[in-house]
Amino acid sequence: MHILVILLLGLAAGILVGLMGIGGGTIVVPALVYLLGMTQHMAQGTSLFMQLLPIGLGALWVYWKAGEVDLRAGIVCAFGMLIGGYAGGSIAVGIPARRLQALFGLFLMMSAALLWRQAGERESGKDAND
Amino acid sequence: MIEAAAQGPWRIAAIFVTACVVGICSGLFGVGGGVLLVPLLVLLLGFNQHTAQGTSLIALVPPTGLLAFLAYYHAHQVNVKVGLLIIPGVILGGVVGGKLAERMSPWRMRIVFAILLFSLGAWQVASAWTK
Repeated sequence: MHILVILLLGLAAGILVGLMGIGGGTIVVPALVYLLGMTQHMAQGTSLFMQLLPIGLGALWVYWKAGEVDLRAGIVCAFGMLIGGYAGGSIAVGIPARRLQALFGLFLMMSAALLWRQAGERESGKDAND
Repeated sequence: MIEAAAQGPWRIAAIFVTACVVGICSGLFGVGGGVLLVPLLVLLLGFNQHTAQGTSLIALVPPTGLLAFLAYYHAHQVNVKVGLLIIPGVILGGVVGGKLAERMSPWRMRIVFAILLFSLGAWQVASAWTK
């Protein structure tokens, strides 16, 4: 039962990965906290562990074939994220769990606002080139 | 497209700085960073939506979260077994989601996802508050 929940969680996260081009951690972290009762730190560490493997490879292949990849920008982003990730991870382990959970919540709300804005711009036809 | 706004080395530098900020959030919150990288590539750097998503996926192929992961690992905050069990579903689902994204222009769904994320975030804040 436990294992089935985890497998289904992975599948749901994966569909979001392909659909949105994101890593899936935004869904996996809260799901691990609420469905499996993990602590916030444990959920975040486990999410990072899961993302060590190129889990987006299947989705990337689909984008690659469609010519929708900026390889150079992607490589630059990877370096920046590697360095930034070390700073962020070091900060996180020193933050009390409750505060980290609240910060994570705020981060999700901010990401949601960004996504909303982006979708709104497209909807109003401002970005015609797509 | 507003890509004329920044060209050549400045554009690369802008991408790098953006990615560093995304990386800090990634390590801080245990997420891949794509959720932030995709909107920033579109809103700040003028990428079109599909290219932003494809570029985000390529940035996630190397283990960019490795250093962040090690910070958690040394603090014993990793559940390896659960992590391994999630992976197969994510890979499989990724192919399905990628195909779906090519077929449709999922703007309405993006708004649904934004609402979902916002609710999850509000829930996290509320439960941290009442704990």
